Amino acid sequence: MKNFTHIDAETLNQAAELLSDKQKHARLIAGGTDLLSVLKHKLEPDYPDTIVNLKTVQGLDYIEEDEKGLKIGAAAKLGDIASSPLVKEGYNALADAAKSVATPLVRNLATIGGNLCQEVRCWYYRYPDEIGGRIKCLRKGGDTCNAMTGENRNHSVFGARKVNLSGCSQNCPAHVDIPEYLTKLRSGDIDGAAAILMASNPIPAVTSRVCTHFCQMNCKRKGYDENVNIGGLERFVGDYILKNSSRFMAPPDGESGKKVAIVGSGPAGLTAAYYLRKQGHSVLIYDKMEEAGGLLRYAIPDYRLPKDIVRKLIEALEHMGIEFRTGVEIGKDIPVSGLVKEFDSVFLNTGAWKRPLIGLDGEEFTTFGLDFLIEVNRWMEGKIGRDIIVVGGGNVAVDVAITAKRMGAASVTMACLEAEGEMPASEEEIGRAREEGITILPSWGPKEILRDGKDIVGLNLKRCTSVFDEKGRFSPVYDENETSTLHGSSILMAVGQKTDLSFLGEDMELEVNRGLISVEPSTMKTSMDKVFAVGDVTTGPKTVVGAIADGKKASVAVHSFMTGEPEGDPAHPLGGLIAFDASAVSHSPCARLTERPKEERGLHLEDSYGLTWEQVQEEAKRCFNCGCLAVNPSDVAAVLIAMDAEIETTERKETLEAMMKASHCRLVEDGEIVTGIRIPAAMKEYRVGYDKYRVRDSHDFAVVSVASAYHVKDGIVEDARIVLGAVAPIPLSQNSYKIQIARTLVRNSLLNAK
Amino acid sequence: MGENKQLVTITVNGDVYRLSVGDGVGEIAPADTLAETLRERLLLTGTKISCDDGACGCCTVILNGKPVPSCTVLTIECDGADIRTIEGLGDPATGRLNRVQQAFVDHSAFQCGYCTPGIIMAAEALLEENPHPDEEEIKEALAGNFCRCISHYQVLEAVKQAAGEGGE
Repeated sequence: MKNFTHIDAETLNQAAELLSDKQKHARLIAGGTDLLSVLKHKLEPDYPDTIVNLKTVQGLDYIEEDEKGLKIGAAAKLGDIASSPLVKEGYNALADAAKSVATPLVRNLATIGGNLCQEVRCWYYRYPDEIGGRIKCLRKGGDTCNAMTGENRNHSVFGARKVNLSGCSQNCPAHVDIPEYLTKLRSGDIDGAAAILMASNPIPAVTSRVCTHFCQMNCKRKGYDENVNIGGLERFVGDYILKNSSRFMAPPDGESGKKVAIVGSGPAGLTAAYYLRKQGHSVLIYDKMEEAGGLLRYAIPDYRLPKDIVRKLIEALEHMGIEFRTGVEIGKDIPVSGLVKEFDSVFLNTGAWKRPLIGLDGEEFTTFGLDFLIEVNRWMEGKIGRDIIVVGGGNVAVDVAITAKRMGAASVTMACLEAEGEMPASEEEIGRAREEGITILPSWGPKEILRDGKDIVGLNLKRCTSVFDEKGRFSPVYDENETSTLHGSSILMAVGQKTDLSFLGEDMELEVNRGLISVEPSTMKTSMDKVFAVGDVTTGPKTVVGAIADGKKASVAVHSFMTGEPEGDPAHPLGGLIAFDASAVSHSPCARLTERPKEERGLHLEDSYGLTWEQVQEEAKRCFNCGCLAVNPSDVAAVLIAMDAEIETTERKETLEAMMKASHCRLVEDGEIVTGIRIPAAMKEYRVGYDKYRVRDSHDFAVVSVASAYHVKDGIVEDARIVLGAVAPIPLSQNSYKIQIARTLVRNSLLNAK
Repeated sequence: MGENKQLVTITVNGDVYRLSVGDGVGEIAPADTLAETLRERLLLTGTKISCDDGACGCCTVILNGKPVPSCTVLTIECDGADIRTIEGLGDPATGRLNRVQQAFVDHSAFQCGYCTPGIIMAAEALLEENPHPDEEEIKEALAGNFCRCISHYQVLEAVKQAAGEGGE
C-alpha cells in the first residue's frame, strides 16, 4: 500500500476539521475493511495524503436503549451489533442484516457507520481509470463486465448510473451517446434516437458511410462475440433524418441578429453551421467549388457516399436558412479581412487540399491522388487498360485504387510504408480492395521513379522496416538493399494532403504553425478576434468525425462569443439511470450490410444496402448498454430505512430514507461524519425481518434483499414498510428474474409476519 | 490536533514489541498492515497473506480476543493490542501442539495447508468464546475462511474433536 500520514483523531470535531482541510487531502478510517481495499488497489482517482483514524475517538461504539428507542454509535462493530442481546430482542432484523455482511472475521472490524457510507458501486468494477478512461474489472480483469455476459450474475443488477462514458462513446471523437440512442431504437422510438444523434453529430447519413467507426473498435461486445454494427444503425437513423429533414432540421424560431461567415463547406463547417443556425444566427457559407460539401462532395467516391446524400444534406441545411455561396473563392474574390469587417464572426474551414511533395526525382510526372478523385472521369480518358501504381496506405489511397480499377485499369498495385495491420485504411476498405483484385504491398516505400523521358514506366521500391519512432512520430526507416520493381504507366500519389494558407493574404496576421492555423483547442479560436478555424486546416488531414467534433465545439464558443452568454458544456450529459436488458446476453452475430455483387459494382452506385427497420431493432438489442452497474452494498441500510431510523452526523439529523433519496452515490458530504443511528422505540411493536438472496452464503453481495417492518394488530397488518435493497436504486422494470426473486422475498416476509 | 504516532507497542504471543514509526530500516510505515508487520518485521511467517483483501481468512489472527483478517488492520492502529498468531498456540519448549492443532493433524484437516493457520486461529477464537459449539456455529464461525483444496469436511470433524465432541 502506498504510504500516507496517519492521524489519530481525539474528537469528532477534530476529525471533521481534518477531513474538510483540502490541503490534507484526507480520508476517514473506521473499521478499515472497505477503505484499505480501496487504497491497496488504488481504486479511486485520487490517493489520499492523510488517513484520519476515528477509532481513537472515545465512546463512539455504544449500543444502548432508552425510552425513545435504540441508539447505536457509528463505530459500533457489525459483529457486536449482530450478537447484541439488546438488538436481537427488539430489533432483530438489524441483527440479521449485520450478521449477513461479509464474513465473521470482517464483522469483527467493520463498523455500522462505515457500512452505511460505502459508495454505490460494483465490487468488481470500480472507478474508471481517469487517464485512459477505461473501466477495468478488478476481480476478473479486462474491461468487459463479466456479470453482464452471464457469469455469476450476483454482482450484476437492475441497472445503474454511468460513472463515465461507455467505451464506444469514449472512442468517438464526437462522443455521440451511442448506448442512449440504441436504447431508443430498441423501444421503437426512432425520433428519440434521431434527436440524440443530432445532438452530437448533425450529419449521420454521411458519417455512417464514411466514418472509421472508432466506436465499433471499442465496443465491449467485441470480446464476447462481435461488435454491434453501430455504423449500420447510424445509417438507418441518418437516412431517416434526411428523409424527414423538415422536422429534424427545422429553421430556428427566431433570429438572433448575429451573422456568421464560414469559409469552406466541409464537415466541420457544416456542423458549426447547423448548430449556430439552430440558435438563430444567420449563417453564410462560401465555397470555391461549384457544389458545397468539400471533400465529402469531391473526394469520397460515390460508391461509398452517393452524391445525392450530400446534396440532400445541403438542401436540408438551406431549408434551415443557411445560405451557400459556391464558386466564390475567399482570398481571391473577397478578402478574408472583408469578411471579418462584415460579420460578427468568421470560421475558416478551408481543409487540406494541396499536394505534399516527398522529394522523388520525377515526382512532377506522377498524379496527386486527390486531384484524381476530383476529376476522375477526365483523368482516366485514354488510360483505361493500363497498369496503375498507387502509393499510400490510407483510405484515400484505397479510394484511388478501387476507383482506378473500376474505371478499367488493367492492374492496380498499392504500395505503402506501413506493415499489414498498421495501414491507416480501415480493414473493411482493405478487404474490399483485395476482393476487387488490387495487389497491396505493405512495408514498401518509393525509391525511384522509372521514366522514359516524360513517360512513367515503373517504380522502384525499397523495404520499409519501421514507420514510426518509439515516440510514435513519423520517421520511416528503410533497408536500401532490399528493393523491388513495379511496372506501370501511371503513379498516383496518395501520401497525405497539405493545407494552402495563401488565401489569408498579406493583411491577415493570423498565427500559424507548420502550415496549420493555430487555435485554442477548447474553443477553436484563432489569434485574431472574431476569427475561428475548424477542420483539417487546423489539424492537417484528420477524420470526418474529428472535424464534426471540432465544429460543434467551435459553435458553442462562437455562440457565447457573439451573445455574451456563458459558454455551455458541449459534452453530452452522462444521463440518468440505465437499465440492463437481459436479451443482450445471448450470443448473436453482428448484422452486416448487404453488399452489391462484385460484378454490379461501379463508380456511381452505392456498394452496400442499408439495414431494414427489423434488422435495426434486432441489432440494437445486441448493445450491452455498458455502464458501471453499481451495487449499493449496505445491508443494514435497507433495514434501517424499513425501521424508520434517523442518522446523526456532524452536520445534521435526518431519517436515512430522506438521506438516501437525496443522494445517489454518497450518503454524506465531504467532511461530514456519521456519528450515530437511532431507531424509534415504536419499532419494537413491529415485526421486522431481513432476507437476502445471494449465490454464496458468505461474502457475496445480495442479488436482491428485502427488509420489512409490519405492524400487526389482531392478525391484521395495519402498517407495512418494505424496502428492497442491495442494488442501486433502480426501478424494477426490465429484469424479470430478479423481479421474481424480489416477489418471493416479499411474500416470505409477509408469511413470516403472521 | 490529532496525534501522529511515533511508537506502537504491541504484544504478540505474550512478547512485547515496541515498533517505531518511520521510513528507516526496521521501522514500520503508517501504511503497513498487521499481516505485513508480523511476517516481515517480526518474522512470524505462520500467518499467511493470500487475497490481501480481507476476503479469504488466511491471515486470521486473534486481536484482543477476536479473530480478524490481519491484512485489513493497520499496525499503527494496534497500539496496546494483544495479538495471538499460530506461533503462539503450541508450546515452543516441548513442541506440543495445542488441542485445535492436534485435532487438525489427527484428521488430516488440510491439503496444501496454506489456509490452515487462519482456519485454526478462527477455530481457536470460537472455542475460547464458545467451548461447545454445535455444527452450525462452527460453520458460521469459519464462514470467512476459504479453502481451495476442499478440506472443509475434515476441518469440521477436527473442530468438533477439539470441542470435545469426539468427531471421527
